[in-house]
Amino acid sequence: MKPVRSDFWHSDGHRLSGLSTLFLLAPFFAVIAFVFIYPIVQLLVISVTEPHPTLDNYARVVGNPVYARVLARTLWTATLVTALSVILGFPVAYYMSRARGAVAALVAVCVILPLWSSVLVRTAAWSILFQRNGLINSALMGLGLTSQPFKLLYTQSAVVIAMTHVLLPFMILPIYGALRSIPNDYTRAAAVLGATRWRTFIEVILPLSLPGVVSGSLLVFLTALGFFITPALLGSPQEMMVSTLVSQQIREVLDWPFAAALVGVLTLFVTLLAVIFSKTLRFDRLMGAAS
Amino acid sequence: MKPPADKGSLALGACVYAVLAFIIVPLVIVIPMSFGQNDYLAFPPSGFTLKWYAEYFDSRQWRAATWLSLQVAFLTAICASVIGTAATYAMVRGRSRLVTLFQVLLIGPIIVPHIAIAVGLYLFFQTIGLSGTIPGFVLAHTVLTLPFVVFTMAAALGKVDANLEAAAMSCGATRFAAFRYVTLPLILPSLASGALFAFIISFDEPVVSFFLSGVRQKTLPRRMFEDIEQNLTPIIPAIATLLIVLSIAILLGAHALRSRSKTP
Amino acid sequence: MNIASARQAVSGASIRISRLEKRFGAVSAVDGVDIDIAAGEFIALLGPSGSGKTTILMSVAGFEFPTSGSIHVDSEDLTYVPSNKRNLGMVFQNYTLFPHMSILDNVAFPLKMRGLEKAERHARAEAALETVRLGGYGKRRPNELSGGQQQRVALARAIVYRPRVLLMDEPLSALDKNLREDMQLEIKRLHAELGITVIFVTHDQSEALTMADRIAVLKDGRIQQIGPARELYERPANLFTAGFIGEMNFVDVTVERATDAVAVRLPWGETWSLPASAVVEPVRAGESAVLAVRPERLQFGAGTAPVVKVTLSDIVYAGSALLLIGRLADGTEMRARIAGASDVGHLAPGDIASFSVPMEALLLYRGRD
Repeated sequence: MKPVRSDFWHSDGHRLSGLSTLFLLAPFFAVIAFVFIYPIVQLLVISVTEPHPTLDNYARVVGNPVYARVLARTLWTATLVTALSVILGFPVAYYMSRARGAVAALVAVCVILPLWSSVLVRTAAWSILFQRNGLINSALMGLGLTSQPFKLLYTQSAVVIAMTHVLLPFMILPIYGALRSIPNDYTRAAAVLGATRWRTFIEVILPLSLPGVVSGSLLVFLTALGFFITPALLGSPQEMMVSTLVSQQIREVLDWPFAAALVGVLTLFVTLLAVIFSKTLRFDRLMGAAS
Repeated sequence: MKPPADKGSLALGACVYAVLAFIIVPLVIVIPMSFGQNDYLAFPPSGFTLKWYAEYFDSRQWRAATWLSLQVAFLTAICASVIGTAATYAMVRGRSRLVTLFQVLLIGPIIVPHIAIAVGLYLFFQTIGLSGTIPGFVLAHTVLTLPFVVFTMAAALGKVDANLEAAAMSCGATRFAAFRYVTLPLILPSLASGALFAFIISFDEPVVSFFLSGVRQKTLPRRMFEDIEQNLTPIIPAIATLLIVLSIAILLGAHALRSRSKTP
Repeated sequence: MNIASARQAVSGASIRISRLEKRFGAVSAVDGVDIDIAAGEFIALLGPSGSGKTTILMSVAGFEFPTSGSIHVDSEDLTYVPSNKRNLGMVFQNYTLFPHMSILDNVAFPLKMRGLEKAERHARAEAALETVRLGGYGKRRPNELSGGQQQRVALARAIVYRPRVLLMDEPLSALDKNLREDMQLEIKRLHAELGITVIFVTHDQSEALTMADRIAVLKDGRIQQIGPARELYERPANLFTAGFIGEMNFVDVTVERATDAVAVRLPWGETWSLPASAVVEPVRAGESAVLAVRPERLQFGAGTAPVVKVTLSDIVYAGSALLLIGRLADGTEMRARIAGASDVGHLAPGDIASFSVPMEALLLYRGRD
């Protein structure tokens, strides 16, 4: 599928009247306002007004060392997952962009099928693999690499591995999109001008695919920051992330204002990043490649 | 003299297939496990049984959760495709100054963490009594799936020449008739594949469902979450296998729809 | 090859392509091609799409490895050498300037790959830009230049490291007509200045005829004819070349006699005795054959030479020339191109016009089976 042109919102031909435009848009804006904007704004309001107008809730998020560590762990995990996704995803995207025929189809299926299968299924698979007597421990012991099974489940490593697994397609597809748009002749031109394959990659392919890498990294990083299911099921209760802390505050501690402040920090940070990088984020392209 | 062996390509290929194995093996591994006879999850599974599937289909709780998720996903697919198509059509053919606002709001539900939306809706829906209800789930999932429907429809509508509608109207068709008889048939395959994607996103959606589910009304993902969290029985691989098969079916369906759509 | 020797090499290299074959599955893209190219020669590979001309160029450039056969440059076997070690210059159809680099960095790129110091490579890149008359454009980006300018930059980039062979893959086809003619002259000038060997792929015959020392005409992966422009035009070696290069009239005939002098019977029953020079391909008595003649060789009006009678259907005035289109009695189309100033005022479509056919203009080929 061709990437959607950025000017597709302005097509020629007979224009709808202002009234019909409004009529067609009303349900969209109503749903977004009612089910997206309002609940988020309400949370933000609670975070600064309860128990009384104050920024104390935010002060606690940043000031309390326990919670500051949760913030740091969340940032670190998201960074690690993003880095791992680039390292693992780039070769796949590159291979995919050069493959033809049945090989290309096979790679595409391997990348796209997980994207459309449930996060719970993938997390469940990892929790099975990570069990004390699970496949990974059996394999390690079978190979004689260890005599004692490792504790894998409920560790931060398990969270990082499983999140990388879940988010990898979001890295591969934008990079693939960028690589696909590099004409084959550029590689040939570089080669005939004397560049080795490695130099061609460094001097030509990499710079030209950078927008895809940035786009994919942002997508993975932003999603990883708020990721809930995987840390909740595979992580340790002693090593919480922001999302699991929010859940705990609401479901166990019932501290709504504090949970709202956590959500506020998360949402504002993510929105800020998205605004800064709004030029590079191309969701339409991702959607085009993913279906 | 013979062409030299291409070591670089071989090394790249090896890396790539290792990563692909990392992506696909965890998904595939649950399939044999769902047929294992043991009451605990061990690898390799021993024996062959369908009892976990039987248990899933016999359990009233699992059936209720599945039925709830199916209803929600079906209604979400309808709401998201109708609202999304109307809005996209207005944006592509309209004269609105709301374009920028529309685009910003559109990527909102993708950017803002689902945990934030979930917590916000949990609070809001409890005060107005929508928590744990089908309309509540459908509204929430409509917001989450709208961007995907809009991107699909924008791509499809962008390929339909606006002059086709102009031509229909010059033949005496009203604006609605022009859409109904000219544009809609051309975008129908994309609309259907957008709806399919909305369906599967809603059906598999875990985070918002997790917070909105009440004691009685639990979606399938919420129930799976509890099972994985508490005891992780071999019924989970059985359900996972069924869900993978569903994903494959939906992807194949969407693919078939897309290859049928020959929008000029 | 190191830089020092490349710099001193002011003349081109000779190239020998022998028994080159490239198969993609069951399809032969190139099917046993031999070409010997002299040092400093400008050779054009001309043919319709799918004729194998691009595959040959790709094999010389090292982007494709042939199924069999070999490629030697100055008697060095390059058949399976990676393209980055071949030290050839190449210009592509779509400029292929790297969009993320400035013009100067683009031209300096091959020097950077050869490990030259920054100052030296910038100086040499600037000099190369001067050669293509784009001095001072170095700071710009590729997308700020016109198509013609971009192709000149690509040319500068291909010659900046003084390769001894320059490969060009339809380099002018993306340009409009006027620019194309400018660039043709530019390339000819560079060729003369640098003494470089050029292999130039094109599907545009007038481009090939005006630019190249020799032209190889290709069809279905095989060379149909290789020779200088005049030879190709005046004595095409077979029916394909005869029809592919320029305009040609063809008349199906039967060979009456093939001993000492060849005689053929024309569709309307006349028999013409042909001079020995007319017989391009050997024929045998009783076989069908094809008689060919260029439209501009037909002379308006009956003369001493044999005459053909043509029922005119169109008379097209094209300034310098007047094109008369009509049919012979059996329906074969004939075209005649005479001087635009010729007085044919009385002629109208439907009239029968007579043309005399100079015997030395006739060419005889074996029949189309």
